[in-house]
Amino acid sequence: MRRLIKYGVVLASCGVLAAACSSSSSSSGGKGTSTASGVLTIDNESGGNWTCDFNPFNLSDISFSLGNVYEPLVFVDTLNDAKTTPWLATSYAWSNGNKTLTFTIRNGVKFTNGDPLTAADVVYTFNLLRQNKTLDINAVWSVLSSVSQQGSDQVVMQFKAPAVTYFYYIADQIGIVDSKVWSKISDPVKYPDTNPIGTGPYEVSSTTCTPQNIKYTANPNYWVKGEPKVGTVNYPAFLTNDTANTFLSAGNAQWGSQFIPDISTFLKAQPAIKWWFPPVANVSMFINLKNPLLSNVAVRQAMAYAIDRQKAASIGEFGEEPASNQTGIVTPTFSSWLDSSQAAQFGNNYAYNPKKAISILKNAGFTMGSNGIFAKNGQPLSFTIINNGGFSDWVNAVNVIVADLKAVGIQVTPQDLSQTTYQDKLYAGQFQLGYGSETGGPSPYFELRQWLYSANSAPIGTPAGSNFERYASTATDKLINEYPATTNPATQQQIVDQLEKVMLADVPVIPVTESVDWFQYDTASFSGWPTPGDPYAQPAAYNYPDWGQVMLHLTPAK
Amino acid sequence: MRFVLRRLGFFLLTLWAALTLNFALPRLMPGNPAVAMIAKFKGGVSPQALHTLEVQFGVNTRHSVISQYFSYLKDVATGNFGTSLSEYPASVGHIIMQAIFWTLGLVGLTTVLAFIFGTLIGIVGAWRRGGVLDSVMPPVFVITSVVPYFWLGLVLILIFGVKLHWLPYINSYSYTDTPGFTLSFIWDVIQHAILPAFTLLITTIGTWILTMRNTMITTLADDYVRMARAKGLSSRRIMFDYAARNAILPNLTGFAMSLGFVLGGAILVEYVFNYQGVGFWLLAAVNNDDYPLMQALFLLITVAVLVAILLSDIATAILDPRTRDAG
Amino acid sequence: MAMIIPGGTTEPAVPIELTGLGPSAGRSGRSRSPALRALAGMGKAVRSNRKASWGAGLLLFFCLVTIVTAIVSHGNPNQTGQFKVGLGPSWHHLLGTNGNGEDLFSQVIWGARPVLEIAFGVGLASTGIAVLVGVAAAYLGGIWDNVLSLLTDILLVIPLFPLLIVIAGYLNGASTGVMIAVLTLTGWSFTARQLRSQALSLRKRDFLEAARVRGERPIYIIIVEIIPTMTSLLVASFLTNALYAVLFSSSLQFIGLGDPNQVSWGTMLRAAENNEAFQTGQTLWIIAPGLCIVALGAAFALLNYAFDEVGNPALRPVRRQKQPRSLRRTSATS
Repeated sequence: MRRLIKYGVVLASCGVLAAACSSSSSSSGGKGTSTASGVLTIDNESGGNWTCDFNPFNLSDISFSLGNVYEPLVFVDTLNDAKTTPWLATSYAWSNGNKTLTFTIRNGVKFTNGDPLTAADVVYTFNLLRQNKTLDINAVWSVLSSVSQQGSDQVVMQFKAPAVTYFYYIADQIGIVDSKVWSKISDPVKYPDTNPIGTGPYEVSSTTCTPQNIKYTANPNYWVKGEPKVGTVNYPAFLTNDTANTFLSAGNAQWGSQFIPDISTFLKAQPAIKWWFPPVANVSMFINLKNPLLSNVAVRQAMAYAIDRQKAASIGEFGEEPASNQTGIVTPTFSSWLDSSQAAQFGNNYAYNPKKAISILKNAGFTMGSNGIFAKNGQPLSFTIINNGGFSDWVNAVNVIVADLKAVGIQVTPQDLSQTTYQDKLYAGQFQLGYGSETGGPSPYFELRQWLYSANSAPIGTPAGSNFERYASTATDKLINEYPATTNPATQQQIVDQLEKVMLADVPVIPVTESVDWFQYDTASFSGWPTPGDPYAQPAAYNYPDWGQVMLHLTPAK
Repeated sequence: MRFVLRRLGFFLLTLWAALTLNFALPRLMPGNPAVAMIAKFKGGVSPQALHTLEVQFGVNTRHSVISQYFSYLKDVATGNFGTSLSEYPASVGHIIMQAIFWTLGLVGLTTVLAFIFGTLIGIVGAWRRGGVLDSVMPPVFVITSVVPYFWLGLVLILIFGVKLHWLPYINSYSYTDTPGFTLSFIWDVIQHAILPAFTLLITTIGTWILTMRNTMITTLADDYVRMARAKGLSSRRIMFDYAARNAILPNLTGFAMSLGFVLGGAILVEYVFNYQGVGFWLLAAVNNDDYPLMQALFLLITVAVLVAILLSDIATAILDPRTRDAG
Repeated sequence: MAMIIPGGTTEPAVPIELTGLGPSAGRSGRSRSPALRALAGMGKAVRSNRKASWGAGLLLFFCLVTIVTAIVSHGNPNQTGQFKVGLGPSWHHLLGTNGNGEDLFSQVIWGARPVLEIAFGVGLASTGIAVLVGVAAAYLGGIWDNVLSLLTDILLVIPLFPLLIVIAGYLNGASTGVMIAVLTLTGWSFTARQLRSQALSLRKRDFLEAARVRGERPIYIIIVEIIPTMTSLLVASFLTNALYAVLFSSSLQFIGLGDPNQVSWGTMLRAAENNEAFQTGQTLWIIAPGLCIVALGAAFALLNYAFDEVGNPALRPVRRQKQPRSLRRTSATS
C-alpha cells in the first residue's frame, strides 16, 4: 500500500467526506444546517499581522484559504501513503501512458454566492494559471499541455510527458474558483480577494477579518450535510514564537502549530493539550560538491559516520524531532519505503561510528596534523557551516555536529547568519557546509528529487530551487525522470531504492534530524483530531489544504 | 524670516539625504525576497515556486541604478510606496495606515503623559530642595532610565500577565473583538495598552524629571525669582508662575521633538507585546526582506522627526526673537 | 557639561541637548593643565559623591569580572548539553542551569566581556570621531564647517534605532567588531555637535591667540591647546556613548540581530525568550542578564550624572535643613 497513485482508480471509497456519499440524512444539499457550534482558535506564529487577502493562487494568502474556503479536486494524505480522498472531484483516472488525467467533477456543489460548481469552473481555473504564470505557484503548466471539458462533468488534462508525480500539485494544491466571479477581475495577479467566494466549509470576508484575527464562520449551505460541526474558527496573528506559545499555554487556543521547547514542562498547566509531531522531511547538512575537498566522497562518508544524529536530535530539538538516517527516508512516516538490507551494507545505515570515520579518512590518504586536524597535500579538513542563526534549535544542533566532527579530526566553524543572508548563501551555493531543510512531499520521492535532480540545481551564484549541494548525475536524473511515468508501486519502490543507494554511496547530503509538523491539540474541547493511529491529514494549521480536512473532522465537546 | 528659510533648507536637504540612504541601503545589502518568502512556508511549497516569485517581485530585473533612483524619487513624491512583498499584494500604504494609528495612540499618549508627570515631579522636586524627594530622585531616575524597556516589558508580562493574570499582554485588543466605537472595544483597547504604556512610562519619565529638576534649580537661583521671593509672593505662585514657567521653555522644545520620535521610539515594546504598530511592522519587514515596506516605514519614521524639528524650530523663532538673528 | 539621561533604548533624546548646555570646562587656562584639573575633579567626585562612587564601583566590578574570567577560563560557556537541564541554583551552579544545559552563572560572567568591549569600543571610537569632526569643523571654519556641521546635523536627526535595525538586519549575525563599527558610525554626531560649539567658544581665547602668534601649527594647537580644555566634555561623551552602546547592542541582540553563538547578555535574553524561560519556570534566565544590563548602564549613567553635578555646583545634593527652610522663612516674613 505504498503506491502514490493507483492506475485508473475510481474513488468509490468514501473517506473523509463520508456524508457526501453515504446517505446519512434525508433531504437534499444540507441547506441551512445551523448545527455548527463552538469556537476553535488556532495558535501559529505568523510573523506579522493579517492583510486579510485570500487569493488562493498567491503564496502569501494560499495558506489562509485553500482547504477551508477554496477546495481542491482530490485530497492526498501525505502521512498515509498518499492515500487519496475525493473532494471536488468524485473520481479520477490516468490513461494514455500516464499522460492523460481525467477528473469527474462532483454534482450539487455550490459556491457561497449560489453559483453551482461545474466542470467549466475547473477548466477556467487551470487556464487562469496558464494565462498568468505568476499565479501558477507550483508550475503545473511546465508539464501540462491542455485542460479541457469533456461531457457535462468531466475535465481532461493532457501532459507533455508522463506526470504521475504532479498529481499531488494538480489535484491537492489548487483551489477551484468561480469562473463567473474571476472572469470579471481585471488583474487576477494583484487581486486581493478580500471577500472570497469558495465552495468550502468556511466563509470569511473583510468584515470578519481584522489585522489581528481572521474569523472563519461555518458555511451554512456547505455541500456535505451536517458539516462543518465547528461554528467559528479564529486565527489570531502573532509576530513571535514566544507570544504564540504563551497564548497556547494560557489556554486561549485549542489548535497549536508551534515549536515549543521543553514542551512537557511548558504545557503542564494544560493537561488536556496533547501533541504529535509527525516527521515529513529532513533537516540536513548540505555539502557543497563544488568544493574540491568536499567533492572527495571519502570525506563525506567520514562525516556521515562521525555525526551522532541521536545527540543532535535530543540536544538541538529536545527530542521533539527524531534523528534521520542516511537514506533520507523519513521514518516512521515513510518506513515502508526504507530498503533496510541495502542500508545495512553501509555500516548499518551510517550508524554513529567515529572510529570508522577516522579509518576512512586514513585510507583515503589523509594524515592527522599536530593540531588534531586531518589534512592531505597540505590542505586541512577545515570548513565553515552556514546556519540560520534565528533558529535556536538549529544553532544547538549544529554545535553538536561541530563537536562530533572535531572529534574525528575535521574542523568546522559555525556561521550563524541572519535569515536573509543565510538563505541567499544556501540557495546560491555560496557555502562549504550548510544546515537546512527541504519541503518533501507525499512520498520520499519528492525529497529525494529535491536533493538529487540536476534540474533543481544551478551554477554557483545563481539561486537553485532545492539542490543546494549541486549534485549532478545523469544516471540519477534518468531514475528521477522515470518515476513519474509509472503508477506501479513495485517500479516506484525500485526507483526509490536506487535513489536511496545514491544517498548511501555518494553522500551528497547528510540528513541529521527529521523536520516535523508542529501540532498541539486540545482534547477537552474538540474531538476528531488527527493522531498517530488515524493520520488522516497533516495536522498543523499551516498545512494546506490539510487543515480544511482537520476542520471537517472536528466535533466540539458537549 | 531668513531663519525659517534656512531651517526649511536644512529640512529639505536632510529629507533628501534620508531618501537617498533609504534607497541605497537595500541595494547595498544582500537578500532575495523570493527566497525569504519560500522559507516562510514551513513546507508545502514546491521549489518551482522560486522562479514564479522572482518574476512576481521583480527580483533580478535589469534597470540601471540611476533610473531606479529617479523612479523611486517620483514614487515617493506621488505617495506611491508600492506593494508589500511579504504581504503581497497588499499595498504598503494600506499596511502603514493601519499600523500608524496604534503607534500614535500608544506611544504618543505615553510620551505626553511622561512629559506632563515628569515635568510636574521635576518642578516639585526642585522646589523642595534637599527634601526626601529631591535627594532620592536623581539616583532612582538615573537608574530607571537605563532599564532596557524590552526587558522591563518581559518582567511586567511575567508578573502581571503570566503570574497574576491581571492584564492582557498580547496584541492591541482582544483578537476576537471587532474594532468599532463601542464602549466595550475602547475599554478592551485601554486594558491592552496598560502594560506597554507603563513600560514606556517608567523608562522615559526619568529624563523629563531630571532635566526639569535641573533647569528649575538653575532658574531658582536667578534674580527675578529672588525678587519674587523678596516681594513675598506665595510659594505656589513663585514655583509655577515665575520659576517653572521659564524653566519649562527648553523642555517644551524638547517635548515637541520627542513627539517626532514617537513613531520609531517603541519598536521593542511593540515587539514584546505583539502590538501591531509601526515598529512591529518594521521588524516584520526586516525579517521578510520586504524592501518596499521597510523603506516606507523607515522614511515615515524619519520624516516624522524632521517635521517635528522643523515645527519646533519655527515655534522657537516665533516665541524667542533672539534665535531669529542667531540662525 | 551636558547631562544626558537616555530614555531606555529610545532615540538619543534630542530634547536634552538643548537644556543647559553651557560649556563649563576650561574657563581659564592658568597654572595647572585644564585636563589634569578636570580629571582631578572627577577623581574627587568619585570619592566624595555617592552616585559617582557607586557608578565607579559597579564599572570596576564588571571590568574585574571580565579580566578574572579571561584568566581563569572555564571553557566554552555556550557548550550546549554540558550539564543537566533546568537545575535550580546550587553551590555548583549559582544561578542554576537553563533548558539547554548551560550554566547560567558562567554565561552571565562570560557575557560581560562582549558587552564591555562594545561599550568601551563605541565610547572611545565615537568620541574620537566626534572630536575629529567637531573640532575640525570649528577650527577650520568656512566651507569645512558648513559641510561637517551639515553632515553632523543630518546624522543627528535620522532615527538611530530603526536605522540600526535595518542595517543590522542585513549584516551577518553582527559580531562584536561589526556591532562596534555600526554603533560608532551611527552614534558620533551628538557629541560632535557639542564639541564644535565648545571649540567655537574657545577660538578667540587668548591662549589660542598666543599659540597662533607663537607660530604653532594648527594640529598642535588642536591637540595640545584645545582638546585638553574639553576633558570633562570628552569624558561625558565617552560615558554617554558607552551607555547607548550597551543598551542598543543588547536590544539588537535581543531581537536576534546579534551573533547567536557569542554569549552576551543580549543573546542570553534572546535565547531565554526563544526557550520560553518564564513559562518553563526558568525566571533567572531572564532576570539575571537583564539586571546586569541595568547595572552596567547605571554605572555609566551615575558617573555621568555625578560629574555633571561636579561641573554645575547648583545641582549638587544639598543637606537638608540648610538653605530652603530659612529661605522660605525669609520670604514669608519679609
